[in-house]
Amino acid sequence: MRIIDIIGMSFKSLWRRKVRTLLTVLGVVIGSCAIVVMISLGLGMDNAMKYYLKQFGDLNVITVYGNVWMEGQSEPTKITQENIEIIKNMNNVTGLFPKMALNDQMISVCAGRGNRYRRMYGEVYGIYPEYLEKFGYKLKEGEIPENFNSNYVIFGEQTAYNFFDTKKKRNNTTYPHELPDGTMSEPFFNPMEEQIMLYVNNQNKYVEDYMWGHYESAGKSNEYKMTCVGILDAQNSGGNWEAFDGIFVSMDFANELFNSYNKVNKIKDAKEPEISELKIYVDNIDNVAKVQEQVEALGYYCDSMESARQSMQGQLASLEAMLGGLAAISLFVAAIGITNTMIMSIYERTREIGVMKVLGCKIKNIREMFLIEAACIGFTGGMAGVILSYIISFIFNKFGSSMLGLDYMYQLNDGTVLPISLIPFWLVLVALVFSTLVGVLSGFYPANRAVKISALEAIKNE
Amino acid sequence: MSFIEVDKLRKVYRLGNEKVVALDSISLNIEKGEICCILGTSGSGKSTFLNMLAGLEKATKGSVRIAGKNITAMTEKQLAEFRQSNTGFIFQSYNLLPSMDAVENVAMPLMFKGVKPAERNRKAEKMLKAVGLSERMHHRPTQMSGGQQQRVGIARALISKPPVVFADEPTGNLDTKTTAEVMEIVVKMCRKHNLTLILVTHDNDIAKYADRIVHIVDGKIESDYPNVSIVPPEPKELTDTEKILKSLDNSDKEKENKDETE
Repeated sequence: MRIIDIIGMSFKSLWRRKVRTLLTVLGVVIGSCAIVVMISLGLGMDNAMKYYLKQFGDLNVITVYGNVWMEGQSEPTKITQENIEIIKNMNNVTGLFPKMALNDQMISVCAGRGNRYRRMYGEVYGIYPEYLEKFGYKLKEGEIPENFNSNYVIFGEQTAYNFFDTKKKRNNTTYPHELPDGTMSEPFFNPMEEQIMLYVNNQNKYVEDYMWGHYESAGKSNEYKMTCVGILDAQNSGGNWEAFDGIFVSMDFANELFNSYNKVNKIKDAKEPEISELKIYVDNIDNVAKVQEQVEALGYYCDSMESARQSMQGQLASLEAMLGGLAAISLFVAAIGITNTMIMSIYERTREIGVMKVLGCKIKNIREMFLIEAACIGFTGGMAGVILSYIISFIFNKFGSSMLGLDYMYQLNDGTVLPISLIPFWLVLVALVFSTLVGVLSGFYPANRAVKISALEAIKNE
Repeated sequence: MSFIEVDKLRKVYRLGNEKVVALDSISLNIEKGEICCILGTSGSGKSTFLNMLAGLEKATKGSVRIAGKNITAMTEKQLAEFRQSNTGFIFQSYNLLPSMDAVENVAMPLMFKGVKPAERNRKAEKMLKAVGLSERMHHRPTQMSGGQQQRVGIARALISKPPVVFADEPTGNLDTKTTAEVMEIVVKMCRKHNLTLILVTHDNDIAKYADRIVHIVDGKIESDYPNVSIVPPEPKELTDTEKILKSLDNSDKEKENKDETE
């Protein structure tokens, strides 16, 4: 028998009992819809959790601290160039972001014509600019040039506010605040347009000059002309607080500043400049734990969102399993419904099946007819269930979060509302395959019963 | 060697502790093209005999050979295949599938064989014309009279020209007039294609259409003799049937002519 004829026969017998078929399909619709909606809610929670954690930092990032030590260590393991190389060559590591903070080195910053705007002390960081964006820093203005040379500098969002105006006697400082007309206050100058100067100072002389108000000559020893190529967007820089008030230069230039400082201050036994922090970008969230373990083996104290993520995910997983289990029950009931309907229909068609056998229908064809009938019920139910799920999901996403009072879970700081229910394409496929499979499985018993019906049934006369 | 050889066929049913002998060592040979009537009263075992000839019931003892093949030794699966290519079946209560129209019902055995729809429907239409139902091709069984339904049943049984055709009280549900019509058609068509017809009935009138009458009583062959009045009594007022028979004759002639030219 040709498969198309078997399918045709199956459809005919389904069509003949429209109402019953419809009711059976309805059971599957409810079951598969329940499962899809429950899983979609779980996925929505997963998604919301990821965004939630991202507000505290990138989930792919491991942070290694150069000045924090672990239990059992007497002093922290320094982040050395050597170890950076080792970490760089680890599997799954796709980006490194060492941060060399020149905290102990007095570096002052001036801007504008005649160094009109001054800052006594700037937080200068040596970084790998090419990875800036990968590690979650966003630029508000400008862009990072391809060949970031030693004369380039990137300002934090509010770095420019912390300058004072030497031409004014009063109101010579400013800060970011909202003006009466609702706009934000502007700093005295636009760093993107002005010449920026960095000064490495003789510390003793600098402090002394400053105290006496001799700003012009205060301890200046080495000067560097810089160009500001970008201003960071601190709010959206993934919780990196240096994005507010930092001054970022290339790693090489930071080393140069460090050496220059030691020369000016006649420090002979200067150690390697301290790298306070190293961020590691791991290609996939799932590999974070593995890489972190390797880095910890080098003796470093590490921090990542991994442990937080894992504990939250664990809680979510058990919640999802519970929801999914509830939904699975309804699909199970639907499966029993299919079996029941099929057995009923076999009772009614006993004679018909006997006739088909007498007329030479092969046993395996009869089995196939029933399995296809059951599969059709499952597939149609799954299909309708998916469509219904999309509708329910749409309603949830449109009205759900405010109706259920879940705004705090699904609304981000910037006001975007995350979907409560997510139905990715794979879920649609899984739902269809699964409901069809449930149909086929429910059909096995009835099909075997049909096969066992004796051909003699056809001969009996009523 | 005969076309159908039944050798000491025995069937015993168990009813609780009691044994009921339905068939008691029946031996019988039927030749190809023979129209054989198994005549017997209700409970005589004639239906059991037919079921076993068609391989629908297992024998307790003995064997049935059709075209040299021992069907008593076949598995369910082999039997299904054997039936598909060797037997046709006409039922008392027609047993047409209600969800199918006449053409589809007739084409069903070919569908089981895996013949494509266009071809099997063409053959089915031809068969329906041959049984005089060219006006009823796409009617459902419920829209047809008993006689019409049984003619569809005949077309269905004969569509694949099986060497053996079984008919189980084919006219049991029909009135006298229709009975004659239906019998005429069956006998005519079986003869035309040289098919062996095994006709089970309790009706002596029907037996008259057969070449040979085997009388079964209490599971044994009581008598087995050739039918003397081989020409059946001419039924009265059979205008319909006459038309059909005429058309059959004509189509035969046409076919012969065609064959000759080919």
